[in-house]
Amino acid sequence: MDPIRILFSRIAALFRRSNLDAELDDELRAHIELAAEENRKRGLSVEEARTAALREFGGVTQAKESYRVQSGVPILEQGLRDIRFAFRQLRKSPGFALTAILTLALGLGANTAIFSLINGLLLRPLPVPHADELTMIRFTRTDYANPVYGFSAPMFRLLEKRNDLFTSVAGFSRSMMQVRSSSGNVRVSGAMVSGEFFETLGVQPLMGRLLTPQDDRKGGTSTGFAVVISEGFWQSWFNRAPDVLGRRLTIANAPFTVVGVMPRSFIGADPTQRPEIYVPLWAEPVIHAPYNNMAAGFHAWWMLVIARRKPGITLEQANVALRAASNPILEETIPGDATTIKKFRDRHFQLGATPGSQGYSDLQFRFLEPLVIVFSLCAAMLLLACLNLASLLMARSAARERELATRLAMGATRRRLIQQLMMESLLIAVLGTAAGMMAAPAVSRTLAALLMGREHNASLDTSLDLRVFAFVSVSAIVACVLIGLIPALRATAKNLNEQIKSRSHATSAGERKRVLPRVVMGLEVALALLLVVGAGLLATSLVRLYRTGLGFDPKGVVNFGLDMNKQGVEGDALMRWYESYGDSLGRVPGVLSVAFASITPMDGSDWTSTFKTPLSNGEHDLHMSQVSPRFFATMRVPQMAGRDFRWEDSEASGSKIILNQSAAELLFPGLNPVGQHIVKDRNSIEVIGVVGDIRYATIRDTAPPGAYLPITQDPEKKSSYWCVARIAGSPGPVVSAARLLAAKMAPEIPAPVMTTMSAQLDDSISSERMMAMLAVFFAACALLVTAIGLYGTLAYATARRTGEIGIRMALGARRAQVVALVFRENAWIAACGSLLGLAIALFSARALASFLYGISANDPWVMVESVAILALIASAASIIPAIRAARVEPMTALRTE
Amino acid sequence: MGEDRPDVLQGTLDLMVLKTLETMGPQHGYGIARRIEQVSGDSLRLNQGTIYPALLRLQQRGWIKSEWGVSESNRRAKYYSLSRIGRKRIEQEARNWERIAATMARFLTASS
Repeated sequence: MDPIRILFSRIAALFRRSNLDAELDDELRAHIELAAEENRKRGLSVEEARTAALREFGGVTQAKESYRVQSGVPILEQGLRDIRFAFRQLRKSPGFALTAILTLALGLGANTAIFSLINGLLLRPLPVPHADELTMIRFTRTDYANPVYGFSAPMFRLLEKRNDLFTSVAGFSRSMMQVRSSSGNVRVSGAMVSGEFFETLGVQPLMGRLLTPQDDRKGGTSTGFAVVISEGFWQSWFNRAPDVLGRRLTIANAPFTVVGVMPRSFIGADPTQRPEIYVPLWAEPVIHAPYNNMAAGFHAWWMLVIARRKPGITLEQANVALRAASNPILEETIPGDATTIKKFRDRHFQLGATPGSQGYSDLQFRFLEPLVIVFSLCAAMLLLACLNLASLLMARSAARERELATRLAMGATRRRLIQQLMMESLLIAVLGTAAGMMAAPAVSRTLAALLMGREHNASLDTSLDLRVFAFVSVSAIVACVLIGLIPALRATAKNLNEQIKSRSHATSAGERKRVLPRVVMGLEVALALLLVVGAGLLATSLVRLYRTGLGFDPKGVVNFGLDMNKQGVEGDALMRWYESYGDSLGRVPGVLSVAFASITPMDGSDWTSTFKTPLSNGEHDLHMSQVSPRFFATMRVPQMAGRDFRWEDSEASGSKIILNQSAAELLFPGLNPVGQHIVKDRNSIEVIGVVGDIRYATIRDTAPPGAYLPITQDPEKKSSYWCVARIAGSPGPVVSAARLLAAKMAPEIPAPVMTTMSAQLDDSISSERMMAMLAVFFAACALLVTAIGLYGTLAYATARRTGEIGIRMALGARRAQVVALVFRENAWIAACGSLLGLAIALFSARALASFLYGISANDPWVMVESVAILALIASAASIIPAIRAARVEPMTALRTE
Repeated sequence: MGEDRPDVLQGTLDLMVLKTLETMGPQHGYGIARRIEQVSGDSLRLNQGTIYPALLRLQQRGWIKSEWGVSESNRRAKYYSLSRIGRKRIEQEARNWERIAATMARFLTASS
């Protein structure tokens, strides 16, 4: 009890400090007077009585001082005093304070924003109980570069039975689902989940019940399939109706019954997705119709598998057990299919377990490296900002050296002075962090949107959590120490004697002690160069990516998906629908040309087929797409030989194919391919034309050999295609026309969402774009900050050398010599720093290599240009101090001595 | 910052103050100091000023309380008196002190 009571009364005392002081004064006065009175009674004179009283009392000041120490919280009071002092120091030089706080806010804010991204994608556990027990199951094969997380239904059903390792095992697969609303079908982000999905994640519903293994049965229950909805969907779709349980939803034209609502905090097992509806896995044939992954059995690898380990089973144990079970599970999955089993075994098919606490998203793998690179650039930027502030503080505290030395000589401890100086950098760090933190959430949201461009349904929760706060606090503390400690140590290192002796501005002694600031500035220049080189490489690479010949003209092309798989029209009638839709859209003003395709360039999908020819031996993989007539004209892909597809090219008229130039040369070297036949699965297909090559799945890779099949010969009866239109002018009116047309001609289909081909290209290189943009931004900031640092330190140093310069000029130095003298300072720093930076850049730029296009990581031009830019910046920063030095009047300078 | 006095001395002074207040009733600082000097028979030269941090310490612990009053010579002075907690603690503190004193005495006789 006592310590707490003491602490309270001490803290309370802080707030009535002046009151307490006055009271103590009164009390002590009363004491002396009482004593004096008694002494007088004993016969002493007034004067003697008072002296005796004071003598008996001892030191009044000492008593007061120890009373004060006893009454308050000295550390706190001292701290408050230091903070007030630091505030005053900063207010005295608002320019410095503003620069310091802004640069730090920038560095810390950017770091926080990117850390939030990394946190949201890679670090934060799923918001479910005991996320650490979650395990992702995957497999490896020697012919696949990376582990595969996709499983087929039969294999999953076997894994589901592994109750020796897991309390529960769940399969899940996300999918856009068509939900019927009063105004036709609407696309809703959903997930197909196996019976134990919710049990595996260990969550409870907001209301109703969860899906169970009883729901996950072929054909559903007698009342159709059950569906669990999210709180958000409950709100937007049912307006939070309390009687939502038992209501019907029509999903993919089939009836579903709402059985439960999940709370908003539940996001499923993928941190980048937020499914609105959860349906049983067995509803897949309905959802995916006309496709059926369930029926495709072993050969459709379409679901992810997450499991919860039994208590006491480690990840390693689960991993070992799964590995050992690989072959038995394989054989049980496809009993009798000896060829496939042999193929898998030859390629060392091995199951395995990896941590699943963060859930799974392919984005985690795709964005890991770009995020790490951006984070490193960002950290370099922060370090640079700190070094810059350290050198500015050093220059500033040089002006206070005499004051500090005097205080040391008068008995202040060095620790005390360092504490006081550090308070200033702590203040800068705190204010900078606060400013940065305010900007960080918006920045990270923007970055997430930029990064996830193509994943239209992806959302990443980048909100601040404890992990981010811990990160921010640690960075702020490190920043504070980096900024403040060296200057504080240096400023208090000298004794008064030395200080007074060096009063005469004799720079010879001072020369040595300026080594440290120069080293710090040199490091800053090196870091700046590093950032400039990185930005130069990434930006040049991005420009080259954009300038690369795509083989088609993306400008003015828009595309949108038509979801025709859930409406009534099919087969030839559907083809006629497409044709007339294209014709109608083509008549809209501003539309130049319309076509359809199953895959458009860089839309994220890839489809290869194997072909043989009677001429070339062996099989060749060609990259495929199904296209309508006028696709090549719409995309402005040149027709090199033969003809385009026609709407009349029906199944009956014989299979037809158009090759691109690379495929033509590959399959028919030196021959005219038109009229020749190629073979796919024993079907002979006639080549009717040759078109130019286009980049297919990525901008990076040169156009692969490819082939086009006509959509009129698609074996599927209800295919959805992209509508591709070339337009003149703004896409706005065309978008609304296309929607109206779709609503009129096919009221059941969801409203199409349009993107421009240019946006699709941007999204396909979103990592590269983000890296280049941020790198350029950081480099620009680094250059600005470095310029301020070089200018600031030189200006301080030159001001302190005014006397020396005066003497030099009095002795006959010309102004040009003075300018050179000052200029040399920064020239040396810039030269040494650049050299160091260049050396580091040569080593570290390799980390960027896999993201660079058309440029080597050690591109000499980028290096030379970066050094030139830094030299320019250093010169610019030196001009004003140099001119100011040259303007020094020898007489005035000497008089101020 | 003031130097810390040895704990034993601190405890001694605190106990003397408590005991004084117990026998004399409410007293002002000077009165307490005088009483301690008198009882110790002037064998203990006390800087009267040191009593104030001790009084504050005891107040912070809640063992004594203070209020302003008027002295017999009609002067405004701060009067200290034992609180309920303080009254209870005196006995315990006294026992502690006796134990320390006894231990000390044993040491001194043993080594002589």
